[in-house]
Amino acid sequence: MSALGGGGGALRNASTALAISSTESFAGTPSCHTKRVRRPPGSFYWLHAVTPAPPLDTTTLKQLVFVSDYAESMIPPEIGPQKSSSQSPRSPSGAPFLSISVTDPVKLGNGVQAYISYRVITKTNLPEFQGPEKIVIRRYSDFVWLHDKLADKYKGIFIPPLPEKSAVEKFRFSAEFIEMRRQALDIFVNRIASHPELKQSEDLKTFLEEDEEAMERIRSFETGIFKKPADLLQMFKDVQTKVTDVVLGKEKPVEETDPEYEKLKHYIFGLEDHLTETQKQAVRLVKRHRELGQSLSEFGKAIKLLGACEGDSLGKVFAELGSKSELLSIKLQKEAHNLLMNFEEPLKDYVRCVQSIKDSFSHRANAFRLHCELTETTKLKEINLEKLNLMRSDKTREAEIEYRELKAESEEATRRFETIIKRMNEEIVRFQEQKTAEMGLAFHLFAKGQAKLANDIADAWRNVLTKIEAYSLSSGHD
Amino acid sequence: MSALGGGGGALRNASTALAISSTESFAGTPSCHTKRVRRPPGSFYWLHAVTPAPPLDTTTLKQLVFVSDYAESMIPPEIGPPKSSSQSPRSPSGAPFLSISVTDPVKLGNGVQAYISYRVITKTNLPEFQGPEKIVIRRYSDFVWLHDKLADKYKGIFIPPLPEKSAVEKFRFSAEFIEMRRQALDIFVNRIASHPELKQSEDLKTFLEEDEEAMERIRSFETGIFKKPADLLQMFKDVQTKVTDVVLGKEKPVEETDPEYEKLKHYIFGLEDHLTETQKQAVRLVKRHRELGQSLSEFGKAIKLLGACEGDSLGKVFAELGSKSELLSIKLQKEAHNLLMNFEEPLKDYVRCVQSIKDSFSHRANAFRLHCELTETTKLKEINLEKLNLMRSDKTREAEIEYRELKAESEEATRRFETIIKRMNEEIVRFQEQKTAEMGLAFHLFAKGQAKLANDIADAWRSVLTKIEAYSLSSGHD
Repeated sequence: MSALGGGGGALRNASTALAISSTESFAGTPSCHTKRVRRPPGSFYWLHAVTPAPPLDTTTLKQLVFVSDYAESMIPPEIGPQKSSSQSPRSPSGAPFLSISVTDPVKLGNGVQAYISYRVITKTNLPEFQGPEKIVIRRYSDFVWLHDKLADKYKGIFIPPLPEKSAVEKFRFSAEFIEMRRQALDIFVNRIASHPELKQSEDLKTFLEEDEEAMERIRSFETGIFKKPADLLQMFKDVQTKVTDVVLGKEKPVEETDPEYEKLKHYIFGLEDHLTETQKQAVRLVKRHRELGQSLSEFGKAIKLLGACEGDSLGKVFAELGSKSELLSIKLQKEAHNLLMNFEEPLKDYVRCVQSIKDSFSHRANAFRLHCELTETTKLKEINLEKLNLMRSDKTREAEIEYRELKAESEEATRRFETIIKRMNEEIVRFQEQKTAEMGLAFHLFAKGQAKLANDIADAWRNVLTKIEAYSLSSGHD
Repeated sequence: MSALGGGGGALRNASTALAISSTESFAGTPSCHTKRVRRPPGSFYWLHAVTPAPPLDTTTLKQLVFVSDYAESMIPPEIGPPKSSSQSPRSPSGAPFLSISVTDPVKLGNGVQAYISYRVITKTNLPEFQGPEKIVIRRYSDFVWLHDKLADKYKGIFIPPLPEKSAVEKFRFSAEFIEMRRQALDIFVNRIASHPELKQSEDLKTFLEEDEEAMERIRSFETGIFKKPADLLQMFKDVQTKVTDVVLGKEKPVEETDPEYEKLKHYIFGLEDHLTETQKQAVRLVKRHRELGQSLSEFGKAIKLLGACEGDSLGKVFAELGSKSELLSIKLQKEAHNLLMNFEEPLKDYVRCVQSIKDSFSHRANAFRLHCELTETTKLKEINLEKLNLMRSDKTREAEIEYRELKAESEEATRRFETIIKRMNEEIVRFQEQKTAEMGLAFHLFAKGQAKLANDIADAWRSVLTKIEAYSLSSGHD
């Protein structure tokens, strides 16, 4: 299906467009995840940022036919899997790679306790991992654990979002839902593995390598009612902050007043609203395609029965019309599935990403308040210390120790706050590029799918028209 | 819009195909009934029966583009109106014509008594009518009166059907319903005027020429609880027939056993089932088109808002996608209307025609029973008379008078029955030809409309794709 030239290494570094056979069907068949296509950054229409590429010429563009599976396009090249046998993982000259796939959903357990388990396969030549291949079994809650750990430790970074936790009960084990969740989890873990900071986290290693019992123990511990001491301390500090605010006469919570940041927040909130609305409309569009397909199928059956009743040339025309209707019904159902996987899902993913950004806003606001509060308190303590020094009080030493501790805390809070700002600035750039590319791709696939569907429909009806005219010519007197 | 050559007279007699400008839009705009296109019989693909025509060659066929209004095609040429000024109705050399149009629906009255009145315009040069033009105001119940009178007097003939009597209350005065009813009533009265027997009925003249008060009196008299003596007699005879059947030991009602007739009845009943199902599916198809159009419109709006949020080249792409979606939404709504007027309505009309045929079956069955019953009774009376003759009874004269009366009645009943058979045989041939042609046309329009819609949709999305590719080329780094 794909015409990849050269070895994996050459592709990863090249920024030439990836030419894929244009005979690829656009029916949205769920892709088997054992096949992936590596996509150099330059092959996205909009994305020339990661590795600046020469502008794509029209010829190359025309050869660009994106595979129908949106998820496949989400695998950044540097961690994509190598084409099976063409590159040995043990080759010393092999470029470093980390490739993860979430596969083989299996239903385990019974009744209300039933759940889906996935096989997580890690292929890598990085020394810090147990290579070259490691397979573990994970369930949704394990992914949640990983997400929450990273969200806690890497404030300021837009943690890749998880697919929704719950679903309508009867839908929870439908093939379509399972496939969409599996795909989303695969994208989730690969985004972590391709993030410069996140991929170095110990929690990722734990997730990818611990056996299932260990994983379950770790997960249960974290989500238990016994929170870690550090968390309790943080909760206390948050309360303390509020009290201090009131004491210091600050009734309004302290907020940043950076105009650039304000603009960003405004943009993100607006984006969330519009995306949610668009995604809702996309859901409805998928539904309408299904319904039209269903009606066309029943219509076709009725027409065929009518044709069987009529006989002769008119009956043949009816039969033709009926067959074509049923054929088009199938195409409509396929397009509905295509829309779901390649358009609606990316939109939903976009919404989740935006919500992850809002989480970062909260972290930043908290960090800012803590920084302000501690800075203020430290200053007060400094003034107090000077007073005690002048008075040569015997409380000086104690006060000096307290002051040093507070100052260290304050500097820590300020450092954390500044780390968050720095991270967010980098993240925003990454986000803009990636989402622009992904959205462009999704809309491209949308328009392409719709155009192809419409073309097929037009061809089918024109074919019927030809037959109608042929029958009329040949029938003479009817 | 139409390229009609020559004068009206030449067209009426010619059987060459009618060439109409192919730029005629297929949007299903309700046609104004002041413009009509005369259609020689040969221009129907299947119908070469009324005036046998040379087979249409491919070139001529390709020029054939049927106007989108199904109703216009239903006006047989011999009663079509002359092209306005090109032919004077008073011209002595003008061929005979009778042209009727039902127009200008106007809501009269208030509240529950509100109703729609129509202008019925008759243009004719036939001496038996008040020519050249007569305009009267009629309401739905007047059409019902005409239908019922003809059904009563012309048993065996498939009386053209009326549109449905009642409608969902809130829909009763919607523009679409009024237009569909007006169209159906126009077709109804023109079918009567083009039927060789029906057009000579006095009731048609009454309907077309009496003033409104006279019409109301006539209508009220007929539908009052005081039935005409003839009706009472018929009711009595029907009861008598049933009694006689029981007395004579015939528990089952008497039925014809003509195999050809059985085949016909079987065909008609099957046809009714399949048509009803097909028509139901067509209704649903119209609805789905509307819903898809609605969803596409809301989707387009959401995408545009999203685009306003994004800005730059991606924003422009969104705006383009949004605009195209809204454009296509309008096209879908138009096609829904086209389907309704040019496909669903003809199917509904077909169903009504088939139900009219079933009415004729009932009349034929009744006439057959009466014929059998009277024939039987007459024979018995004849035997009885001979007995009385031999006995030289004084009841002989009375019996002879009764016998003669009964024999006359029996012959009348037999004559009526045979008239019905004769009429039905002719009607079946007419029906087959006409309905084949009308159905062929309806399906042709269906396929054409669908093909055009799909084409437009494909073009729209391809234009979006082109712009997507253009934006990506021009944007460079985004």
